[in-house]
Amino acid sequence: MLRGGRKAPGRGHAAPRPDRPRDPKPPAGPARPRHAQTGGSPPAPAQPLPPNLVVLGEFGRPHGLAGELRLKSFTDEPKAVGSYGPLTGSDGRSYVLTHLRQAAGDQPDLLVVRVEGVTSREAAEALTRIRLHVPRETLGQPEEDEFFLTDLVGLAVEGPDGFAGRVVAVPDYGGGELLEIAVEGRRRTELLPFTKAFVPVVDIAGGRLAIAPPEGWLDEPTDEG
Amino acid sequence: MARSIWKGPFVDGYLLKKAEAARGSTRQEVIKIWSRRSTILPQFVGLTFGVYNGHKHIPVYVSEEMVGHKFGEFSPTRTFNGHAADKKAKRR
Repeated sequence: MLRGGRKAPGRGHAAPRPDRPRDPKPPAGPARPRHAQTGGSPPAPAQPLPPNLVVLGEFGRPHGLAGELRLKSFTDEPKAVGSYGPLTGSDGRSYVLTHLRQAAGDQPDLLVVRVEGVTSREAAEALTRIRLHVPRETLGQPEEDEFFLTDLVGLAVEGPDGFAGRVVAVPDYGGGELLEIAVEGRRRTELLPFTKAFVPVVDIAGGRLAIAPPEGWLDEPTDEG
Repeated sequence: MARSIWKGPFVDGYLLKKAEAARGSTRQEVIKIWSRRSTILPQFVGLTFGVYNGHKHIPVYVSEEMVGHKFGEFSPTRTFNGHAADKKAKRR
């Protein structure tokens, strides 16, 4: 507000001008399909998602005008997301990734990709936040004493003295792989090293693993030793 | 500024005693420690420490490459679990 009670020019709400026509509405008529508006090829019809899928990545925002877009890769080797063939999107459609390259910046898991049939920015925009999956069978079989994390997560945990729980995650903070176990009847999760000594039995087919936890494993931690 | 060499690496005294006792015993155990500031020494290699992160003790299996680092480096205080995707875990 300026001295004297006058308003600064260009600030505040402008009064509606009666002489200016309002935004014209698009002419009524049959709506054009999205792919016709955006220049892309018609996508395959959406299918319901099959069970037993593993998520490998998620589309981000578009990159440039030619239909490229960002992809957050969840795979161990980020560019490996393109080596699994056609990927099933969370919308049920199938996507083929081409021309993968790392995005600028310091995030190694962020890629810029082209998707087959997507040739404009608008078409790429429509894919944002779609997650990409493959069937579990596509991952193949691991070597001896190696396990896919996706197989371990969800296994029932059996321990001594009627201990029961479930694997909720397999983190690795630099000191070796750990099993994060949700213990029945507790809110807190517990961590156990993923070693033969502490986890002697892993039965993926049976959906269970047996543990031999160290003494005092379930004791509540205190702030001081 | 880096620590003076003449002082040697810093390790809390109680931790050395616990590690020595664990070396003597035959059963596998997780040595619960609160000293995130202690340096990992060569005599700790092969032992598993539970390093406190303010909430819980994170098990840390000490390997040769960790010698010279601090325990706190392997026990993050803020954690984020990503997606499993095609990642594998090897049972040691």
